[in-house]
Amino acid sequence: MAKFIIRRLLLMLLTMVLVSLAVFLITEAAPGNVARNVLGIQITPAQEASFLDQNGLDKPIYERYFSWLFGTDWRASMRVGLPVRRITTEDGFKEWWAVKEDGTLVRWQLEGEDLIARLRQPDGSVQTELDNGRWQVKDPKVEIARLEAYREELLSNDQVRPEARQAILQELDQILEILGTVKGEDALSAALVGPEGSLEAMVDAEVAGTAEDFQAAADDILQTDDLSRVVEIYATLSSESADALEAGQLQTMVRQLGNAAKMVEESDPALAQDLQQAGEQIRGDDFQAANQVLAGAVTTLDDMTGSLVQFASALRADDYQAAAASLARVADPAQVPLDEAQLALLPGMVAEIGDSLEDASEPLAGALVQAAEDLETGALDGARSALDQAAQIMSDTGYIIARSESARRARVVRTFWGIDTQDHAVNWEKGGGEETWIFIVGTGWMAISGGPTDYIPLQKGLLRGDPGKSLRTGRPVADLLFTRLRNSLVLAGIAFAIVMPLALVLGLIAGLNEGKMLDRTLSIGGMMFSVTPEFATGIFLILIFAFWLELVPGATVFGEDAPWTRPDMLVLPVLTLTLIELGYVLRITRASMVDVMKAPYIRTAFLKGLPYWRVVTKHAIRNALMAPITVIMLHVNWLLGGIVVVEVIFGYPGLGSYLLDSALFKDFNAIEGGAIILVAVAVGTQLLADVIYTFLNPRIRYA
Amino acid sequence: MAVTEQAAPQIAERPSRLRSIWERLSILFASRTAVVGLVIILFWVIVATFAPLLTPYTPTEQDYTAQNAAPSAQHILGTDSLGRDLWSRLIYGARVVLVMLPISETFWLPGGVALWGVALGLLLGATLGLMGGYLGGWVDEVVMRILDAMMAFPVILLYMIIIAAIGASATNVVLAIAIVGIPGIARLVRSLALDIRTRDYIRAAELRGENPWYIMFVEILPNARGPIIIDAMLRVGYAIFAMGTLGFLGLGLPPPSPDWGSMVAKGRQFILSGSPWAALWPSIAIASLVVGLNLFADGLREESLRYQ
Repeated sequence: MAKFIIRRLLLMLLTMVLVSLAVFLITEAAPGNVARNVLGIQITPAQEASFLDQNGLDKPIYERYFSWLFGTDWRASMRVGLPVRRITTEDGFKEWWAVKEDGTLVRWQLEGEDLIARLRQPDGSVQTELDNGRWQVKDPKVEIARLEAYREELLSNDQVRPEARQAILQELDQILEILGTVKGEDALSAALVGPEGSLEAMVDAEVAGTAEDFQAAADDILQTDDLSRVVEIYATLSSESADALEAGQLQTMVRQLGNAAKMVEESDPALAQDLQQAGEQIRGDDFQAANQVLAGAVTTLDDMTGSLVQFASALRADDYQAAAASLARVADPAQVPLDEAQLALLPGMVAEIGDSLEDASEPLAGALVQAAEDLETGALDGARSALDQAAQIMSDTGYIIARSESARRARVVRTFWGIDTQDHAVNWEKGGGEETWIFIVGTGWMAISGGPTDYIPLQKGLLRGDPGKSLRTGRPVADLLFTRLRNSLVLAGIAFAIVMPLALVLGLIAGLNEGKMLDRTLSIGGMMFSVTPEFATGIFLILIFAFWLELVPGATVFGEDAPWTRPDMLVLPVLTLTLIELGYVLRITRASMVDVMKAPYIRTAFLKGLPYWRVVTKHAIRNALMAPITVIMLHVNWLLGGIVVVEVIFGYPGLGSYLLDSALFKDFNAIEGGAIILVAVAVGTQLLADVIYTFLNPRIRYA
Repeated sequence: MAVTEQAAPQIAERPSRLRSIWERLSILFASRTAVVGLVIILFWVIVATFAPLLTPYTPTEQDYTAQNAAPSAQHILGTDSLGRDLWSRLIYGARVVLVMLPISETFWLPGGVALWGVALGLLLGATLGLMGGYLGGWVDEVVMRILDAMMAFPVILLYMIIIAAIGASATNVVLAIAIVGIPGIARLVRSLALDIRTRDYIRAAELRGENPWYIMFVEILPNARGPIIIDAMLRVGYAIFAMGTLGFLGLGLPPPSPDWGSMVAKGRQFILSGSPWAALWPSIAIASLVVGLNLFADGLREESLRYQ
């Protein structure tokens, strides 16, 4: 017996592993995109990649499966170099912290380029302190390779003034030499202080953020100025990603081309026609033809506006000098004579560009607004000098930004593995100028340079009772899973407690009256209830008891409460489950009873002269109940399906509806956690059925 | 001598085909439950087949003047929340279940989703069962382990995961029904094959040197057809049940196709606000059809047992 149970337990374990693997593979293969489900359909590829990284979904499947089973904390702990522990706070939240050498719990966050340690005090409050000492120089080999590549890039970078470039190159060479020769973390840090200090001095703190402001301004111009937009559309269509454009984007393009055509209609009807035509071709998916037409149109536009249409595109591409040049060209009478056609377009454009630049650079915006006013009133000389001035400011600011940026990128990257406040182990990096997207609750997405580059989401792993965090709610799956499981068990338990005695008794009665009217009514009635889908039964019951008779509520609303706080809401769900199960158990019991009553030993008992009830209760029932009890256990599998439907009909917050929502959402951790529990219940009851059967029937012995 | 004389006329009087069919039908009509079941099934089959002739509306046509309307002369069963005629949706829904399987917008196969699901499950399940039962040995061991693992999966979970993985469409519902049906069918066929393979005619076929696949599909399968047919009939019932459940859970046919389960799911929201019709009719439809199939299969089984 014990051997048999052990073997079955091992088999059960094997099944569970297979099932978890199957669930994992199937959900993996499923189409749909959990990042889009969580964050909305508007996210960019960079944001999607960051989301997948933060949740560990970018790792290969075997690694994810392994982490899911065995957890990630030990791996994180190796990276961080400190033990990692999960604690439960006073409010019941589960948080991950690193344990410092002296036993204090610590997590980190990044502010600008400063590492801040958050130390948890015994009373639960948090103290912060600067912890820049933990930064470590990134692997010198990697850094040498990166910096050498960067050196090449810098040599051909015409955004930086030659003298500034020379100064940066000098420091860069020095850094490369230090990286190549100096060994040891501390020595390296000390040696790098000099050259990195000089680089730091070349960074202009005032322009920090200006680059982003210029980007925003460029986006703004491209959004409001349809002529600039034409250049951008042309660039998009000629790039390789043109085929991947979505219908919505194409429609926007067509509309913008139409608007641009309207703008130039009076000054240049031929151009307007070209733009319209390009729009039509885009609509017809003929990108090549559209591109050819647009190439001509862009040249014409360039001539008309003194290439001011290129301004926004240049700015967006961080090409400040080209942007400045396009301003200077408008100011040059030899290139832009400011004839009537040009005067019809330029003032508006200049004013729009000026408005958009307001945040990025006030003097620049001021000069442009002045120029626009002068153009409007016909003071052409004033306009030209204002434009010249704007071009100068643009160029100077551009040089400073490029110098700061280049100096920043020439530094050696510092890296640090720590625990962040969102329960990940994070690899932070600063310097190097790589941009990463992070999601900040309340603010949204931000691109920051110097930030997390790799994540390990912390979890203990299924085998230690932690199936991870739900992607849908951000809460640990285990918390909700057990509440939901409890609710489902309450529902199923009550139904079971009602069904079993009732169905067995009715089944025995039907079996004893085989073929009579009572038997036919009971078995056909039972069959009808058991084969009617749960949702149909549920609807009938709601109609009768909640809608017409208004006896009990037709839906369940518990919120966070336990189900037994509102017994009236449980009536209909339990009744639905009861009806479905009742017929099934009844029919099995009946058939079993009929069989037993025909057995020779029952006939013998009667022939011995035993009274009828004695035969039935002493001899028949025990044997007749054997089959139903085991079959009921096997039926649990089926009952689980019924529970899912009943939970959905009545809005009951159980495991089934949780699983359904998770499956529809592609919430990996939740589906997998729930599926494992369901399978454990199903396989466990089957095991139980076998064991009960052996106890009930001593003739069966398992080897 | 006397024995052969007696036997000869009996052989000559072997009943004609027509007669044997008639005898089988009379077995059927002897059972009242089977007849009731048959009537219900026939009702739905006929209504589904001639659906376009039986209603002036299409299932997706919206009547903006009558939304959530009660039964009336214009809409004999009322309308749903979008003003679509419930009778039309009901009988076109029956079409998808029983008569036609939509593969794409324009192309459909005869035989409904439930029938195709069971047929596909039969094909795969019978193959596995025959292999396990007839070939035995390690093949049987492997087949049984796979079936055990499939049985351990809660049915509803299997449905959810399959549909969530491959998407909701008529063909995928067929696939899901087939996959879920495989273990049961395979076990049944295996047990029948285990029995039949000991018969003399199988021995004879083996001695003739027939190929194992020939023996499995030409010798064993036809001789196991009785229980398989009755099981299949019950399975069509389960399949309709499953289809309804899937539709109700939002995993069935994509809207706006008329699917009984999703009609109930949609109509459910309006019950307590006073228009129960949209949820009531499809519930009755699906219940009646499944009950009809079960009555029919039950009656058939009872009578055939009696005549054996």
